Amino acid sequence: MGSLYSDHITWLHRVPAAFKLFCFAVLGTAQFLMGSPTALVLSALACSLLFVSLGRAIYPARKLVLSIVLASLLIVAFHAFMQQPSLGVVSALRLLSASLLGIALTLTTRSRDLLDVFERLLSPLQRLGIRTERLALQLAMMLRFTEHFFVVWKRLDDAHRIRTGKAGGLRILAPLTIQMLVCARRAADTLELRLGE
Amino acid sequence: MKSSRSLALVSLFAALMAVLGLIPKIDLPLGVPITLQTLGVMLAGCMLGPKRGLQAIVLFLGAVALGLPLLSGGRGGFGVFLAPSAGYLIGMPFGAFVTGWVMSRLPGAAPQHIAVNAFIASSLGGLLTVHAFGVAGLVKLASLTWTQAFFGTLVFVPGDLIKCALCAMVVHTVARGVPDWHFGGRALK
Repeated sequence: MGSLYSDHITWLHRVPAAFKLFCFAVLGTAQFLMGSPTALVLSALACSLLFVSLGRAIYPARKLVLSIVLASLLIVAFHAFMQQPSLGVVSALRLLSASLLGIALTLTTRSRDLLDVFERLLSPLQRLGIRTERLALQLAMMLRFTEHFFVVWKRLDDAHRIRTGKAGGLRILAPLTIQMLVCARRAADTLELRLGE
Repeated sequence: MKSSRSLALVSLFAALMAVLGLIPKIDLPLGVPITLQTLGVMLAGCMLGPKRGLQAIVLFLGAVALGLPLLSGGRGGFGVFLAPSAGYLIGMPFGAFVTGWVMSRLPGAAPQHIAVNAFIASSLGGLLTVHAFGVAGLVKLASLTWTQAFFGTLVFVPGDLIKCALCAMVVHTVARGVPDWHFGGRALK
């Protein structure tokens, strides 16, 4: 997800990560509590306006947004086929709104800032004896590995294209898994030296 | 298994779930899109075993609940657990657990046997268990009858069977490429 972050600074970049996360979590939840199609249409319009207001920063997510629009259309078509077109429209609007909010958050927030928020959010669990620093470390590693997955995927895909002239697709899933397992072992060895366990 | 290695592998498979959510969907001939995230559930169970497989999926869902847009289509936030498909999400950690448990119980050490074991384990965990929770979720949250929910979920079964086969192929390649890997968490104490 870090690969989607846009360096083109927008107004949303200046909003603190904690506030953005809170607002988007509340708005995302509200999408699923609202049942009225009119309210959902208005909400989808508001989310679209917010997204478009980011200007050039949305360029890295163009393909992702297109795939979401196509998925929404498929959902409507599927429900229309099942004789429930209104349910399809409601589901598609929810997907569209929640996705646009999520992508806007990803485009405008560095993963490091999100992790700081998580550490603060998790800190009350320390009173229950939960080692929250481990949880925060796992979240940080998860985000780091996610970025690294894309780097390795791209490298393997490029190599496959050079060899065959075609995209690697799912054929590179197995070599990708092996390379990432080896990478995780290396990361574990480094961690062992640092944590001593 | 050493704590640091466990920590790294759990994070790795949580990351794999996130990556699989961003890979373009596969469209079945009848036009229904399927995402690859249940493949992540199957792989976590087969590769890490029941306990750590479950931990990886819980970590991933925790990050989603905190608001990270890691589900397919960039969805995230607590709201996704109130949607009609929430049953499938809740079923994912249990699916990883069942996959890992079955994988750890099936005999065989040759790559071919391990691949067959992975297909069986992921069919029971990643397919049957996740769909059982998914159907319950559809009944509870989408107000469908059990019969409607059952037939609704059947549409995704062919795609999930393809994922079980993909999982078996990946496991087979890993079994050959990383011969000292302990599938299903065996010997990882």
